[in-house]
Amino acid sequence: MTTLTNTIEERRKTFFKRFNWQYFLQDNLTGSRWLTIWVAFITLVTVGVFVGQLGSAPGWTLILTAVWAVGILMVVAGELFGLHTSFSRWLKDNLLSSISNTLVTLLIILLVAQVVSGIWQWGYVTATFDSTRTAPDLRSEGATWGVLWGARKLILTGTLAPEHTWRVILTGAMVFVLWLISFIATRPTVKTSMGYLQRISITLWLLAPIASYIFLAGLEYHEPFINIRTLLTGLVIVVAFMALLWFFKVIKLDPVSIGLWVAAWPIGYVIWQLIARTGIFPTINVDEWGGLLLTVIFAIFVNILSFPLGILLALGRRADVQGIPVWIVWPIALIATVYLLSTSTPELWTTSRNNVERALALWPLLIPIAAYFYQRSFQGNMVQAFSVLFIELIRGVPLITLLFMAIVMAPFFTASGSAIKNFWAVIVGYTIFSAAYMAELVRGGLQAIPKGQYEAADSLGFNVLQKYRFIILPQALRILIPPLAGSVIGTFKSSSLVALVGMFDLVGIVRGIIGNGQWLGLRSELYAFLFVLYFVVSSGVSWYSRRLEKRMGLGTR
Amino acid sequence: MAMMQGPSVSNVEDIVVCRNVHKWYGEFEALKGVDLDVKTGEVIVILGPSGSGKSTFIRCLNRLEEHQEGRIIIDGIELTHDLRNINEIRREVGMVFQQFNLFPHLTVMENITLAPIHVRKWSRERAEELAMQWLTRVGIPEQAEKYPGQLSGGQQQRVAIARTLTMQPRILLFDEPTSALDPEMIKEVLDVMRDLARGGYTILAVTHEMGFAREVADRVIFFDAGQIVETNHPSEFFTNPKEERTKLFLNQILHH
Repeated sequence: MTTLTNTIEERRKTFFKRFNWQYFLQDNLTGSRWLTIWVAFITLVTVGVFVGQLGSAPGWTLILTAVWAVGILMVVAGELFGLHTSFSRWLKDNLLSSISNTLVTLLIILLVAQVVSGIWQWGYVTATFDSTRTAPDLRSEGATWGVLWGARKLILTGTLAPEHTWRVILTGAMVFVLWLISFIATRPTVKTSMGYLQRISITLWLLAPIASYIFLAGLEYHEPFINIRTLLTGLVIVVAFMALLWFFKVIKLDPVSIGLWVAAWPIGYVIWQLIARTGIFPTINVDEWGGLLLTVIFAIFVNILSFPLGILLALGRRADVQGIPVWIVWPIALIATVYLLSTSTPELWTTSRNNVERALALWPLLIPIAAYFYQRSFQGNMVQAFSVLFIELIRGVPLITLLFMAIVMAPFFTASGSAIKNFWAVIVGYTIFSAAYMAELVRGGLQAIPKGQYEAADSLGFNVLQKYRFIILPQALRILIPPLAGSVIGTFKSSSLVALVGMFDLVGIVRGIIGNGQWLGLRSELYAFLFVLYFVVSSGVSWYSRRLEKRMGLGTR
Repeated sequence: MAMMQGPSVSNVEDIVVCRNVHKWYGEFEALKGVDLDVKTGEVIVILGPSGSGKSTFIRCLNRLEEHQEGRIIIDGIELTHDLRNINEIRREVGMVFQQFNLFPHLTVMENITLAPIHVRKWSRERAEELAMQWLTRVGIPEQAEKYPGQLSGGQQQRVAIARTLTMQPRILLFDEPTSALDPEMIKEVLDVMRDLARGGYTILAVTHEMGFAREVADRVIFFDAGQIVETNHPSEFFTNPKEERTKLFLNQILHH
């Protein structure tokens, strides 16, 4: 008996040593006027939600509240009597650390339960999964998932003719196989024993875009098997390109590499013609691509193209090249002004109908103003001026405007008025948009590299190309992995805007399906599917970027 | 070739020739007409209060800063806007920085061999062999595969010195190489520098290490307000300076 009294006595002592009501109230309730108001408010909201849900789903509400209460009891027991387990300590630190947090926890539990049960009811309990029944089942309140199966062809490839579907599957299979090869090649054990596998996989990845293009867009066959003009034109272009690279000391010239370069085009041309002649891959109109296929192509195309372009623009914006001197800029600007004032202005003046048009006829006067700003802001630095103007102009325009411009104005730019495919117009518009944003990201990364790195590279005698390639860009790109991943995800998601300029990407085709009589009234199912799909892809990219970041050892420099 | 341009202002022995070098930062004149001839193999220590232009001056010698007036001729090649000249000179002039400026994403060995392989176009084997020799000479051959972030300040600075020397420069510029180091690490870097000074390199060093100056310098140059105030033999300079300004400076640094 005495031992029991003693234990209780001890407990009471430890209780009061551990717990101070005054402090507890001060920390949780009476500490400040705002705290009191906040706790009162959150109490009211929680009680309101609790009462509301008690009416609609009493069982679940009571169970969840009971679980919550048990959690509180565990924490109280742990705090007052030293009976903490690791779980109760976790609860205390994360969910039940104060009165207001405890209330918020209950509130969130109740709200999440409501949402989840709603989705569960709609998406599973009352839903129909019958793949043959694609029209909405008006008797049930749930989802009619059959539409996804019924419209699978449209969702995956859009308006692409069904006889070409196997080519899409082939491309997917190729990418999967390549991924598998790289995966195997980068395993630590394989990496050391079969180093050549990695080189093979890189080569295959570099060839993959060409193969994908042949699969998805097909090849045209020109009638005489070898067209001498095409052959020579290609050869001249390749040789000129090679000479340019040699001039800038990017490549070295030895007999073997000269032979490879010169032979590259003729061999490629013959292969092209051979494949085209078989007729296995007849040309597909790129505007027939649609659905998931188009969205994926957009994302890959735009990201791959805009990345190097963005780096170039960022470097251009920081380029410190010798400016065009004042004594060249001003005479040219003045001569142009005078010339245009004497030719263009009179013409416009005579046809003008009002004062505004008369004022516009004097447009050559803008040239000296532009020249003034060119000198003042850029000291005649052409590269910088171009990059800054490009970036700021593009960033000042909404993407949707740019896409409309690309589609509407592209025919004006092409020679002989030949219609340019909408797909290519949108690719160009979207790429320059993405590149402008990418450029600013990269510029941030370049600025994060300490000045000493540039100076060390300079003092060791690296030229500009080597300096960026070996020293600056590797460090900058490492810093840039998180924002670049954000940009890749953004490009992927924003590609849905092309639906607004009449292209049937994933979102465009879903809008089409919703408007289709066959599946009338089914929209939630399709939008839910889009939600899940975009979410999975985006979080996949961001997961991969985090892994990449870790692997490249960011922060452990 | 470059020596044929204009009147010859250099004699064969002078590896560095500066004539009336001026440098402005906007309105501020950092260098106000610096004249200096350095003979091959000479060790020169440059002293002066902060902001006196001494760092700016040696950074002009490999064109990290651009001088606006006057002439700088390194080993017979004049520093102009001509990029080929600048790159040629940078191959002959090595620089060691106050903040080491190692490349953090490369190992010590890669740090050292990157420039020899890509600038000097040596084979990897040759570059690595020489790099190893220099790492041994500065006393840290065992650190070759580590990253700069894993080394102490003194070790990093010695790697930086090895990186500079593997390029086989004829002239070495030191820009306050010990100022960012903890006191106990200064000695290990100074020992390497002493070793180099006796090894026949032409050295221009901006430093506050008076002991080093006294011991190995052939000449001490005192900078103030963008000008050379005094040039003197170290024993004379520290015991019997010619100029009032020098005396004041020495008073301040020796009696703190």
